[in-house]
Amino acid sequence: MGKEHKVLVTNRGEIAVRIIQACCKLGIKFVAVYTAEDIHSGHVTLAKELGDDKSLYCISSYHDANELLSVADAANATAIHPGYGFFAEDFRFARRVAERNRPLIFLGPSWRVIRELGDKINTKRIARSLNVPTVPGSDKPIYDESEAEKIARTLFEFQIQQGVEKPLVLVKASAGGGGMGIEEIHDIDLFRSVYRRIRNYAMRQFKDDGVLIEQRIKNFNHLEVQILSDRSGKNPVHFGTRNCSIQSTGLQKRIEIAPGFDPSTINYSFNAEKVMNDIIEHSLTLAREVNYDSVGTWEWIVTKEGNPFLMEVNTRIQVENGVSAAISRIHGKKGVDLIAEQIRTGLGEPLGYTQKDITFEGIGIEYRIIAEDTENNFTPWVGDIDNFSYEKTPWLSMHTHLPKMSKDNPYTIPTEFDPNLALGIVWGSNIEEVKSRGKEFLNSLKITGSNGQGENLKSNIPFLYNNTDRILKF
Amino acid sequence: MLDISALLEEIKQRPYTDLSICTPHTGYLEFGAFNEGDKVKDASGEFKEIPGSKLAIITRENNPRFIYATQKGIIQKLHKQYDKNFVEAGVEIGILRHFLSKTEVIHILLQKALFLFSAPERAKYYFAPEIDKKIKISGSRSITVTDGMELFIVSRMKREVPLTYHGPEGIIYEVYFKHNQNIDANMPLIGICPPDQLQNIEDVISRVNHEWKEQ
Amino acid sequence: MELAKKTKQLTDRLNYIREIFGGKHQEDIMLLESRLEEFKNNTSTNFEEALTSLEDLFSFIEKKLEEKLTPMDKVRIVRHPQRICLKDILENVYDNYTEIGGQDEHTNDPAVLIARAYITRRHGRKTYNQSVMVIGHEKGHGEEFRNGGSAKPWGNAKALHYMHVAETEGIPVHSYIFTPGGDPVEEYPGAAQQIAKNIYEMAGLSVPVISMISEGGSGGAEAFGLADKRLMLSHGYYSVISPEGAAAIEGRLKRGERSSPELIEQCAKNLHLTAQDNLAFGYIDKIIQEPLLGARPYHYDFFRTLRQEIIRATDEVILSVYGLSLRKIGKLRRLQDPETNLDETYIRWHIRRSKRSDLIENRQNKFLRMSKKSYVNRQNLLGALTETWSEQWREVYNRLVYDFYHKQRKNYKNFLEEIEADWLAFKEKSSKPFKNAYNKVRRIDPAAQEELTTLSKWDDADGRNSNWKWISPRAKEDRAITCTNSAIHGCVDLWAPDLYNEFAGVCTNCGHHFPMEYQWFMYNCFDENSIYEFNNEWEAGNPLNFPTLDERLEEARKKTNLRSSCITYEARIDDMKCVVAILAAPFRGGSVGAAEGAKLISAIDRARRKRYPLIIYSHGTAGIRIQEGTHGVIQMPRVTIAIRRYLRAGGLYLVLYDTNSFGGPVASFLGCAHYQFAMRSSNIGFAGPGVIKNTTGIDVPPDHHNCYKALSRGHIQGVWDRRDTRTNLKQALLTMGGRNLYYR
Repeated sequence: MGKEHKVLVTNRGEIAVRIIQACCKLGIKFVAVYTAEDIHSGHVTLAKELGDDKSLYCISSYHDANELLSVADAANATAIHPGYGFFAEDFRFARRVAERNRPLIFLGPSWRVIRELGDKINTKRIARSLNVPTVPGSDKPIYDESEAEKIARTLFEFQIQQGVEKPLVLVKASAGGGGMGIEEIHDIDLFRSVYRRIRNYAMRQFKDDGVLIEQRIKNFNHLEVQILSDRSGKNPVHFGTRNCSIQSTGLQKRIEIAPGFDPSTINYSFNAEKVMNDIIEHSLTLAREVNYDSVGTWEWIVTKEGNPFLMEVNTRIQVENGVSAAISRIHGKKGVDLIAEQIRTGLGEPLGYTQKDITFEGIGIEYRIIAEDTENNFTPWVGDIDNFSYEKTPWLSMHTHLPKMSKDNPYTIPTEFDPNLALGIVWGSNIEEVKSRGKEFLNSLKITGSNGQGENLKSNIPFLYNNTDRILKF
Repeated sequence: MLDISALLEEIKQRPYTDLSICTPHTGYLEFGAFNEGDKVKDASGEFKEIPGSKLAIITRENNPRFIYATQKGIIQKLHKQYDKNFVEAGVEIGILRHFLSKTEVIHILLQKALFLFSAPERAKYYFAPEIDKKIKISGSRSITVTDGMELFIVSRMKREVPLTYHGPEGIIYEVYFKHNQNIDANMPLIGICPPDQLQNIEDVISRVNHEWKEQ
Repeated sequence: MELAKKTKQLTDRLNYIREIFGGKHQEDIMLLESRLEEFKNNTSTNFEEALTSLEDLFSFIEKKLEEKLTPMDKVRIVRHPQRICLKDILENVYDNYTEIGGQDEHTNDPAVLIARAYITRRHGRKTYNQSVMVIGHEKGHGEEFRNGGSAKPWGNAKALHYMHVAETEGIPVHSYIFTPGGDPVEEYPGAAQQIAKNIYEMAGLSVPVISMISEGGSGGAEAFGLADKRLMLSHGYYSVISPEGAAAIEGRLKRGERSSPELIEQCAKNLHLTAQDNLAFGYIDKIIQEPLLGARPYHYDFFRTLRQEIIRATDEVILSVYGLSLRKIGKLRRLQDPETNLDETYIRWHIRRSKRSDLIENRQNKFLRMSKKSYVNRQNLLGALTETWSEQWREVYNRLVYDFYHKQRKNYKNFLEEIEADWLAFKEKSSKPFKNAYNKVRRIDPAAQEELTTLSKWDDADGRNSNWKWISPRAKEDRAITCTNSAIHGCVDLWAPDLYNEFAGVCTNCGHHFPMEYQWFMYNCFDENSIYEFNNEWEAGNPLNFPTLDERLEEARKKTNLRSSCITYEARIDDMKCVVAILAAPFRGGSVGAAEGAKLISAIDRARRKRYPLIIYSHGTAGIRIQEGTHGVIQMPRVTIAIRRYLRAGGLYLVLYDTNSFGGPVASFLGCAHYQFAMRSSNIGFAGPGVIKNTTGIDVPPDHHNCYKALSRGHIQGVWDRRDTRTNLKQALLTMGGRNLYYR
């Protein structure tokens, strides 16, 4: 396998770098793309370094599928790796890739799976049909006002019975997403006016006035289960759990830790071991049900009573895949690379091992290093970076697309994309070790730069440092 | 004081701009019927509904699209090595020599004569809402700006911050940015004409209107 | 002095001859020229004699040329500034008149003239002044401000207003048609929509309407033309399109190009636009003979003839609504005798209230009977017989069910509803105290709790990802499509299999609607397997034997598998039955001719008989099929009359425009609908941008006819997203129309 394949990397930055590296590791040819703004990005430099004359193409936009496929044909690519973001979870793109006259392999789940799990209502219904716990509330769009009110009323009563002090109910447009058309209410008397507002908004915005009524859960931990399956879809395996509860005010992840809880050193008010096992089993059940055939993440929320609810399935490789890989061992060996595994199995190779062959060791922390003002609402900082340096250690792996730079040759952060600069993954055999290594790493990390107004670069390193102590504590 | 005569002479020495014709996206390129030295037309018709000369066809995903001339002029150079080949996005496939019209000359001179307030950083810029409203009703020249006035909204990475104007008092004579377009740092946003300069500016315009012969 | 005057007259006559023949018959013209020149220079000889001889020569040549008149010559006659105009008629045919629609250029539309006039008749010792409302186009004698007799929409609206005034006053309407066509102005009330309103209203005008056609240019003529009697001048023309327009279409000319005089001449002939042709077709009732080479203002004899004919026509209409009494037979005989001087007879121009509906019905039937033989019916005899029988049976059945049973049931139902409401109000009052107490002690229902956490039932669960039933063949092509608005909105190219299937031809970025096939509407908007097509054996023919039309029709039939551009069927939306007619753009541009007209009328009648709502979907129409000439034009009043009957019978009529809809259909049966909707990105108008440029020289912006513009102008009632068509149709059926809708 491998030699005859060529993977088109339809992404940029850090993930593009890692996909290119994974291809090279597997001995598969690759082709990368970039836009004019990204000409100085590390993934471009790397593609030039590792590829041949048909390994790098300038395109007008990462968002234009036509550009990507036109390059795929010109470069004779046989497969497409979408990374995360952009087209990663776009079932239409996956379908087009697979069904065009010159078909390519989409390195991700089959488009039917993406479509099935891309729809939150559908996911919730599949989950419920398998007795996988989901957030209490409706699992279909409600179109009738009195029915909606009845559900909301029951939800309030249900929460009171459950001992929730300040019960909250969410009203959201069923066709919406990304935080659009959602409101929470604390009093049933407010329901009707909120309901009508959301319904009208949904009608205007999405041409569908269905709404979902759900319990609003506060004070929870955000856990994930990392799943991998080959194209057979028959034998999915997991790579443990992650805890992604440390987030920015805009609910963007900043620190991820694997595994999701550490009951060996931290006391939880619930049986954390059981919760982790439960969500893993539930995730695998669902993966088997839909014949999941690639890498994916099952997102859960766990309440402080220890009740897990499935939120959604991310049918793609995630930013934080590396932290799970850091604690995983296949046949006892380190150096697990989930992206390489995704490519290898995606191209048709069987998994080659089972859950029994996967073991876990230690704890990993992933820091997302971003130029932002954490004191001021996490406002992105834009300008030129002239230095990015850190101490290299065996327990640290760094993923970045930042090129080599200096005072005279700085790197300008493009404003068009995600502001991530680098991912630092630290491993330790136990929680104390990983915390101290994490701080050691952050202390050694230096990022400097300035912008047009002469302000110095602001980074989230202090925020990451201060939050290291509270990891995995509920 | 601006030496208009000298400036105008300078432009007369080189009464054209060379525009780079670039591919809008990737695809298979085929040049049209034009050759180096040929005259090409820009979009015409009362509503600019008739597109300019067809310089090339670029086919991407079985979808042929024309690359039209956006300005009239003479084809100075065509990079024929791209003919019947796959091209990347943003590749220069030729150069169009465009001879300056009166309005364009005025535009160049105004950039020198006016006080230019530039973008401090790469971002999208908008006028502050109440100013935007006035401009939409009575045009930008109805606005007199003063030092320290909150004039713009800078939009960057989905966040918006106000930007104050610093410079001489005057009317907004020219606006150089468009809605929803990224402006690079140090590119002019607006051209301000101080009241005492107004007569001067009008002179520039009337002189160009008299002296400039369009080619 | 006398010489100068006579010379001037003869010079005018000569110029007239020269101009109406457009460069033909040069020898005759040169002969006249040289003789006239001789006459001018030769002052010595006997003046009287020379004049007489010259006038004789003129008459001789005019007579000779009269026989050689071609259709195009007649078009030139009609357009000549020396031709009689409406003012000449008012001066010479009527005994007195007052202009009421404005004066000269001081009016909202100088191309339309309105006057109250009277004709004085003597009977024995008595004199009678018989009032009429005169409306018509005023071309004038070449005055610029008259706009050549092209009425603006507000001119047509003005005319309609005064027709209603005539109705109030109970006086006949005399309409005079001198128009090359309506002015394609889209501003409210809009050229097409106003003509449609005029036709619709004239179809139900309760006073006699007599029209006279001199220049009958298509839609503009129809705005005044739906009359009880239609007279036509012998040198006039009545046509679907000007010969130049036809030539531009036939020659496939681009904007601004000119067709050759030969092609125009040929088109004029092929269009069969003369009075003689139209009389043969049955679209006019009588020809009024004009003097040699056409009537001019000094032909006083002609005006006398015209006066007699106008009086006769009006008298005949009046008499036709009353039964055949002996007195009436006598009157009729006298009327029909050309020797009778109608000025000296008298028939009261008044129709009793009780007879007015007969007048209207006669007028409607007269039009509905027209053009029956202008298309091909491929249906076999047995099928036709069965259909007729079942139609008759339907009629009886529906009378029983709807007019009798439903009425009674409704009354009963209303009674029950009232009683129930009273009972509920009583119950509410008496149970109030208990209800409050009950609310306080309410407990959590375990079933409700389960509902919050386990899988619920959802009937429509599969509906969310369900696909369209009918998918365009274009969805099979692996190619990208560029959105029309990509330059403005930055739309990324769409993949054809997504665009033409799931997206229903809608750009996901800007909402632009790409044209879709008519099948998309036909098969995706109605209940599955609910479509029953009828009359598909009716085939568009070639009633004028227009050159190459047979081949072109054959080609269209092969390409589209249709026999005409009109598809009529019955279907259901959520079990609501309706009759639907489609004008399918791929068949000859969705143009309407005799076959389409007949199919539409049949469909409308079916909806009326069966008490179903009626939907006409204009997938696209370029207008009336010009190659059918007046056989096509006449469908405008015909179909509109059918619509009027349907609406008057309590029906609900919806029009939905898609892609491009222009011309006659919009200016009649589509434009007269009370409920008109348009698919997004569609264009609606009277004349397309090319025609506007050719006729008025004005460049219109590319979005001039866009549906949103039509909405802003008040022509349509809403713009629909294609993906919501079914929902919107359903919504429309439930919310629109009068309370007599049969299907409710």
